[in-house]
Amino acid sequence: MTGLIMKDLLVSKRSLKAYLGIMLFYAVLTFLGVFNISFVTAFVSVMLIMLPIGAFSYDEAAKWDRYAMALPLGRRAVVGARYCFTLLVTLISLALAALAGVAVSVTGQGSLFEVLVSAFTTLAAGLLIADILLPLCYKLGAERARPYLYAIIFIPVIVLFLAFRMGVRIDTSWLDSLLLSSPGALLALSALPLLAALALMFVSYLISCRVTANKEY
Amino acid sequence: MTNCIEIKGLCKSYGDFALNNIDLTLPGGSILGLIGENGAGKTTTIKCILNLIRRDAGEITLLGYDNVKEERLAKQDVGLVLDECFFHDSLRPLDVGRVLAPAYREWDQDLYRSYLDKFGLPEKKLIKEFSRGMKMKLSLSAALAHHPKLLILDEATAGLDPVVRDEILDEFLGFIQDEDHAILMSSHITSDLEKVADYIAYIHQGEVVLSDAKDNILDSYGRVGCTAAQLETIDPRDILRTRRGTFGCEALVKDRSAFSRKYPMLLVERTTLEDIMLFVGKGETK
Repeated sequence: MTGLIMKDLLVSKRSLKAYLGIMLFYAVLTFLGVFNISFVTAFVSVMLIMLPIGAFSYDEAAKWDRYAMALPLGRRAVVGARYCFTLLVTLISLALAALAGVAVSVTGQGSLFEVLVSAFTTLAAGLLIADILLPLCYKLGAERARPYLYAIIFIPVIVLFLAFRMGVRIDTSWLDSLLLSSPGALLALSALPLLAALALMFVSYLISCRVTANKEY
Repeated sequence: MTNCIEIKGLCKSYGDFALNNIDLTLPGGSILGLIGENGAGKTTTIKCILNLIRRDAGEITLLGYDNVKEERLAKQDVGLVLDECFFHDSLRPLDVGRVLAPAYREWDQDLYRSYLDKFGLPEKKLIKEFSRGMKMKLSLSAALAHHPKLLILDEATAGLDPVVRDEILDEFLGFIQDEDHAILMSSHITSDLEKVADYIAYIHQGEVVLSDAKDNILDSYGRVGCTAAQLETIDPRDILRTRRGTFGCEALVKDRSAFSRKYPMLLVERTTLEDIMLFVGKGETK
């Protein structure tokens, strides 16, 4: 399985470098005062969604799945490797967000705490999308699953927008009071969706295993 | 000695096409050539062997292990070269070694590098810059680097020039010197199989229509060239298939010597695997 994770890292190397380059660019603009640091923390979730899907696309182009399934690993291990790769990308994203937080905190342009809360939330959203998309990629292939990615992202945005237009307001003042009274509790609270997305990842893995078990290569 | 591959009663249906009751045995120390037209069922058979598709019925063992229930054990000593190179264009041969090494208990990086060297493949060159011949050699290097006992090759020499094909066939002959080793090789290039195979199985429309030692087939089968009038005089039980052309007729006979004795006025020549395929694929029964 480690070989397959290594393969995902190797084929995603160029994309990873490009994402890191863009983040560095955003980070520089942030320190120049052009952007808010939230641009950087939001971008890590883009990376988290796009890298695993990109790995599927590369595999499709090379017709790799047929070869991988013929290796003495078993289908669950092949699927497991892709999920481990996604986890690895999550950790890299989290580390980058933490690094950005430390940087803004050291330079006095923001607080580490706020960056972490923001990163936890965006990463949870990114991981949740990945949890939904990975089984779809196994079922439909990367290209046919891509429209679902847009649906998963834009439908909630449209629903929220329409709700806002219709006058629906969500009271978030309790978050502000929590920030003032107990910042640690807010940080722990913001980590909950991320932990939930990680737990859902296991369910997603089981669904992907079921899809591949019934698939013919 | 355990047979390297045993297939009994393999059936797989796709609706418009079906593999019917395929029985094949590959003893150690030998090469089994799988021939057949496009769509005859060769690749489907290989996919069933590798558990890439689910069979409807039958049993398959690889090196003594059930290929589904003991899949990981069954595949551990199998080397694969399929009809394409499945390695990503952005990888390099050294990367391929790093990717495959953890999958095999017996992966031998030095052996892998020695094959790369032997086949003249640059370790650090991107695979997208490789020719088809180089890609197949890379696949073969990867297939041999974990000391496999069984090689499964699906159209591995297709699209290669005669020099590269000869080089690869020599490698197969070297591999088979060990009596525990065996090769299942599907190919359209019947001349390659005539060169290296010990056994031939001919799959036609999802069924094994001929399965025997290659020497038995080539020593006994014969091709009769005759006129339409002469063909009419031959007992239909003495010929397997016929082909009628503008300039004459041809017939495929199973026992060349017996046929010559019975019909001394007709010339019977040795036949080739390609002739047999043409007779079965395009010919007709008398």
